Amino acid sequence: MIEAFAADTVVPKTLDEASATMREGARSGTTVAFLGGGTEFGYGRLPDRVGTLLKTEKLDRVVDYAPADMTITVEAGVTLAAMQRTLAVNKQRLALDAPQPERATLGGLLAANTYGPLRTRYGTLRDLIVGIEMIRADGSRARGGGKVVKNVAGFDLPKLLVGSLGTLACIATATFRLHPLPEERRWFAVSGRTLEEVRIVCRAIVDRQIEPAALIAGYDGDSYTLYALFEGFGAGVAAQGMKFAALAAELFVTEARALEEAGEAAARDAQTRAFGSVRLRISTPPAFLPLLERGVLVPLRAAFEDFRLVLYPSLGIVFLSGFPRDPSAFVLEVERARTRVESGGGHLVLLECADPVAHGRIDPFGTPPDSFPIMQRLKERFDPDRRLNPGRFVGGL
Amino acid sequence: MVLNVAETVGAERELAAIVGPANCIVDPSELRTYECDGLTGTRVRPLAVVLPASTEEVAEVVKVARRHDLPIVPRGAGTGLSGGALPAVGSIVVGLARMNRILEVDFENQRVRLQPGVINLDVTAAIAARGYYYAPDPSSQSVCSIGGNIAENSGGAHCLKYGFTTNHVTAATIVTAEGEIVRLGSPFADALGYDLMAALVGSEGLIGIVTEAWVRILRAPETTRTFFATFPTTTEAASCVSGIVSAGIVPAAIEMMDRLAIEAIVKSTGVDWPLDVGAALLVDVDGPTVEAEHTLERSVEIARASGSLEVRMPRDERERMLMWKGRKSAFAAMGRISPNYYVQDGVIPRSEIGTVLREIAELCAREGFRVANVFHAGDGNLHPLVLYDARVPGQTEHAEEVAAEILRICLRHGGSITGEHGVGADKAQYMGEAFGENDLDAMNAVRCAFDSRRLFNPGKVFPTPRICGDRPGAYVPHATELSERAGRG
Repeated sequence: MIEAFAADTVVPKTLDEASATMREGARSGTTVAFLGGGTEFGYGRLPDRVGTLLKTEKLDRVVDYAPADMTITVEAGVTLAAMQRTLAVNKQRLALDAPQPERATLGGLLAANTYGPLRTRYGTLRDLIVGIEMIRADGSRARGGGKVVKNVAGFDLPKLLVGSLGTLACIATATFRLHPLPEERRWFAVSGRTLEEVRIVCRAIVDRQIEPAALIAGYDGDSYTLYALFEGFGAGVAAQGMKFAALAAELFVTEARALEEAGEAAARDAQTRAFGSVRLRISTPPAFLPLLERGVLVPLRAAFEDFRLVLYPSLGIVFLSGFPRDPSAFVLEVERARTRVESGGGHLVLLECADPVAHGRIDPFGTPPDSFPIMQRLKERFDPDRRLNPGRFVGGL
Repeated sequence: MVLNVAETVGAERELAAIVGPANCIVDPSELRTYECDGLTGTRVRPLAVVLPASTEEVAEVVKVARRHDLPIVPRGAGTGLSGGALPAVGSIVVGLARMNRILEVDFENQRVRLQPGVINLDVTAAIAARGYYYAPDPSSQSVCSIGGNIAENSGGAHCLKYGFTTNHVTAATIVTAEGEIVRLGSPFADALGYDLMAALVGSEGLIGIVTEAWVRILRAPETTRTFFATFPTTTEAASCVSGIVSAGIVPAAIEMMDRLAIEAIVKSTGVDWPLDVGAALLVDVDGPTVEAEHTLERSVEIARASGSLEVRMPRDERERMLMWKGRKSAFAAMGRISPNYYVQDGVIPRSEIGTVLREIAELCAREGFRVANVFHAGDGNLHPLVLYDARVPGQTEHAEEVAAEILRICLRHGGSITGEHGVGADKAQYMGEAFGENDLDAMNAVRCAFDSRRLFNPGKVFPTPRICGDRPGAYVPHATELSERAGRG
């Protein structure tokens, strides 16, 4: 189905073949889109049709893995799960727990800047990438950064390409800094909370110098459950868990539960992102979150027939996905929510909208930022003929 | 266009009208202060130095420069070591030192809004009472400014665990080469669109002048534990570094000093470190108490197993601070053992430290120089200091050649020419060895998107002149270059 929107689908087996495809596209003036595992293919205003769909699935080689240096260079089509399996042999990992790791490729994850709960401590791929090789619109290859973890030689092209949604260049390979696989990891949960209370716990965690690797909150239709992940060496994880439990007991006279199934909370997060016909993300100053509950989250939730909601309370991010009740009313509700969120210094991004009625009626990104003219000039410099995913990104970049 | 005297005077008058005569420096003797930054060997006198007090003043200054086609060189505290703030010929230096206010502290969202002239350590000083700190800690943090840190993407000892400036500055207001005032990034959540903060941080003053920034602040860890271990040679110290890292430990910092560096530090600061050792490591581990104690214990075991001669632990915070003061004063201490030094900032894969240090030692011995090493071992960021005496004719040039060869060694081992000091004027010539033409073209595309006339900081970062035409073509010299008023780049 995805293929149907391209006149031609190319599956290069080598980077040289990928370059040749790009060069040919430049020669013939063909528009190009890129496809990894397809987990974020609904993100952005995808062009109705493109000339060439370049699939990265055969660009699946590990170019260089240096366990002692804790860096790895992979081609864009390597899936997150495959890479993590390679790294686990040496008790290492990429500190990224994005949803659907068996399908999601590093190239796609970079282009969409996808992340999971570990963002709480480790940031996004922007904070983990140290080098990139890109295939530019004309088919030429260019590198930025390198394979060492610290490097200020030249402009930071690796980070610049993160989240650019395939509109500046084709990501060919990427180099990442790695982290040790923790000896132990343990999830804890505190249930039956309001969003206000969730934020109070977050503040208390910071005040008391508790350092969770992840903090996410789920909504069960009535109240929020806060999940905290602790990672590290055994004794440290146990001590932190106890401290977190004590904090919950002190604040709410309720015990925090240790979750038997370590992956439960992460699975809940991943499930949210694969659920429904519409997915959206709200980003806001963290302290502003409780203020969103009545004016934004309650009406948005009501606009869904069935929904999943997960938020990252220490970062101010909400993921909401589901099936709209009445698509037209839903469109209005999203616009209303967006106005409120933007007035508080945040934004609302539609990550996917497969609902046939609502589709195309909501701008995926909202008001372009102040710096939009610079972004246009950047696009112009990297893709002067506007052939790479034309119009897909913010403001039609 | 060639600027004549009348027009120069005209430009100066316009600048003085914007910032006030007291903040527009044109007197040659006063301009001397601004002829160089921390790279003191190269000096160029600018046309004028202006010290604006607001974003709007910066924008007006840029418009004047633009009108008269004068290059602009932004300047923070002038502590950079790569000549990033070295004036271009006939340039206007925009010094941000007067814009040094912390504008807003938001503990709830863990952000601080500040002006670029704020000194790095003053950010922490302003929030320490509540138990917070600003993480990037270049050794010059008591004197360097946040604006300069942003330009250089400054690192520091504790960046191993906590990341560099680019991981801690989330938004900025900049003045572009067009004189526009633009906000980049987002203070709290993800910004929409391209990650222009990625382009800005580390751009060495080539794409905009930062006039305001939002930085993340962190809660101080519950416990920080430090130890100092000595080794017979740098080889054992290097293997200790690898051992700690491969044990799954992410220390907050691992700093290495070799014999000469230790000698200089002891002479300069009076710390009681032993002089008869080949190398020493200064290691910080931090985090929740139980975790930190565990990693300390494991790290010390690994140090002993790697052949350490002695392991010392500070008895109290004062002693700990003294150890770190020793480390951070290393560059300044070099004066005790050599009249001059030339420092490099190459990076290598961590596993190559032992090999590369030996190659550097051999190179320097062959060329007749002493070399001291004091560096961020955890991330492979070397700081070899080539010691020389500028009074000996030819030695300065010779030392520079040796330093250049050190960079080539780093590149051969898969590394980088600079880890935190920046390319600046100093290392621009080596960019062509580190990157290919296509790579530089891509970087130039970023620059051109911000500053198509190359008004900002010409002559820095790029090894050869690059134009901002639609397609690469023959180089067309600018009028100011033909008249030798402006450098190229």
